[in-house]
Amino acid sequence: MVLKVAIVGCGKIADGHVEEVRKMPELACVTAVCDLESLMAEQLARRYSIPAYYGDFEMLLNKERPDVVHIATPPASHLALARMALTAGCHLYIEKPLTLNLRETEELIRLANEADRKLTVGYSYLFDPPSLEAHKLVNSGYVGDIVHIESSYGYNLAGPFGAAMMGDAMHWVHRLPGKLIHNNIDHLLYRVTEYLPDDRPDIHAKGFVRRTVRYGDHRDDLLDELRVMVSGANATANVTFTCGARPTGYITRIYGSVNTLHVDHTNHTLIAEASSYLPGAFGRIAPAFHTARRYLKQGIANVGRFRRADFHYFAGLNTLLGRFYQSIQDGTEEPVPYRDILRISWMIDEIIQQTAGNVANL
Amino acid sequence: MIVLITGANGFLGSAVVRRLTHCDLREIRCLVRPGSDRSRLASVIAESPESNIRLVEGTLANARSIEIALAGVDIVFHIAAGMTGSAADLFLSSVVASKNLLEALRCQARTRVVLISSFGVYGRPGSSSKSILTEETSLETMPERRDLYSFAKHRQEQLFWEYREVQHFPLVVLRPGVIYGPGGSEISSRVGLSAFGLFLHLGGNNLLPLSYVDNCADAVVLAGLSETADGQVFNVHDDDLPTCSQFLKRFRREVRRLRVLHLPFWFTRSLSGALLKYSIRSNGQLPPVLTPYKCDASWKGCRFNNSRLKALGWQQNVSTEDGLSRTFAAHREKVKQPKAQMPS
Repeated sequence: MVLKVAIVGCGKIADGHVEEVRKMPELACVTAVCDLESLMAEQLARRYSIPAYYGDFEMLLNKERPDVVHIATPPASHLALARMALTAGCHLYIEKPLTLNLRETEELIRLANEADRKLTVGYSYLFDPPSLEAHKLVNSGYVGDIVHIESSYGYNLAGPFGAAMMGDAMHWVHRLPGKLIHNNIDHLLYRVTEYLPDDRPDIHAKGFVRRTVRYGDHRDDLLDELRVMVSGANATANVTFTCGARPTGYITRIYGSVNTLHVDHTNHTLIAEASSYLPGAFGRIAPAFHTARRYLKQGIANVGRFRRADFHYFAGLNTLLGRFYQSIQDGTEEPVPYRDILRISWMIDEIIQQTAGNVANL
Repeated sequence: MIVLITGANGFLGSAVVRRLTHCDLREIRCLVRPGSDRSRLASVIAESPESNIRLVEGTLANARSIEIALAGVDIVFHIAAGMTGSAADLFLSSVVASKNLLEALRCQARTRVVLISSFGVYGRPGSSSKSILTEETSLETMPERRDLYSFAKHRQEQLFWEYREVQHFPLVVLRPGVIYGPGGSEISSRVGLSAFGLFLHLGGNNLLPLSYVDNCADAVVLAGLSETADGQVFNVHDDDLPTCSQFLKRFRREVRRLRVLHLPFWFTRSLSGALLKYSIRSNGQLPPVLTPYKCDASWKGCRFNNSRLKALGWQQNVSTEDGLSRTFAAHREKVKQPKAQMPS
């Protein structure tokens, strides 16, 4: 059975959803799109030849009867739209951040369970090829016991989304409890919870404002730097969100008792850190060549994937969607466990609460 | 008379404001986003400190701020538009923003609207490169197959005509070609594209429909203030147009050296076809940046005609020779500015 997919929210990310769904015609097909601003729904439908578009979500549910709804609207609307879609019998793929807080996340999962529908969230980088490869290596015991995780994410406030957000004091990001941090921190935290099993790790968060005063309103107080120390029972993690560092990058380092992995999500590389077995000065010369050889190997592997037409920007989203649709078809477990979703939601609440009273200027 | 300019700090917007300071107006109201760069407007204000320019902070994304900006306005010069970004970004900043403006205008049926559209809304004027593009040339029938900017501008202009049908407000539409000048972009995509450290010269000997920014501002203000222009469309470009090759040759001589690869149209079109096929076969691993359709629209070439604008009284005050000299001098100064370098 090919699942009928509807997308609500026709912003930038909706393009990625449509393109990835179209790559799996045996599993799913986008039959309708919806946006409160019907012009936005119209442009998406027209560019991708989608048969129907709506400015009213309830009308879409009634007329199209989709099997799956992708919710890609601002987060404040997620719970209400999800409730409507679940009532209409739809499974749900929801963009991050899933909800505004833990209480809403718990309610959403309860509603999905009661409706006997499946739910997943856009933790797409978890399913990128370097992330999956790293996961495999960790499970194989290559890194030994996890000692520490570093998760860092760079953001460009002058980029297309950043500029639009900063240019509009009423932008929905400014209305999130944790504002800009809230909209991005999932990407940092799901890389931590993947390897840190604690339900309620100890968290110490501090936020910073690095920019100079410019707007004369609440945008001047927007946190643009975040540092978080996470302590579990057996391992720790550092989380870094930065708008100041260049080039912007998205990196995870997994420190193990045997080996350390360096995952670069931006450049699609996974490198095992080189340690030298040579003595003295030779031992300090050799690692650069070892590391260069490993990057070369990764580069060649990426070229191979490109030749096989398997080097896509939204590869993680594609895998996540494929697994989600398959779980609906087969009645198997969702690709992102609900326990992880709840843990991340709790951590976000904790970080937002701590940074609210713990801000410094840089 | 009170006029409102959206996109007032933009490249064309600031030139229009400068031109309006020479008109007898009660107020020149400039809509600027809070916290936005206002350097161009600041220069205009510094040149004419006695002028009645008033900055109003607001955004076209917000209905309330549009209402405040529109209060008592006789003419709106709607110049704000998205230039870059994703399809959603461009649609939001050009089309949805325009819809918000048009909704706010419901209560002001007598306010005249001057819309800055684009050559991008036109379909191909004909199969021959000698065809003439005029205001009567049919509009694009499949804008979604064009570049995202043209797609958004096409829908934007369509929206204005749709609302005019219902609200009956006076509307003048100007469709400029390639606006250039000091502070503008260096080379139009009609000349070619930069890729892999090379400049791909794709425009060949096609005429380049240049419009020097001050000449374009003259046209905008003239059409905007004219009592006879209601309901009309005007193509805006200068008289003495160079070819793409001439423009590029002069740019290389006067601004900076470029490594140029000349690609004839037939080759570019064949390459576009191959790229499109690869994009489809690889499931979009490389996006179809070039397609035969886009290629035809951008580089097949045609001739141009601005007689309707001239009939309104417009004349080219800055010659293309002077315009290019001033523009290239400004680009040359910019090139000289030092860039951050990796320490050796």
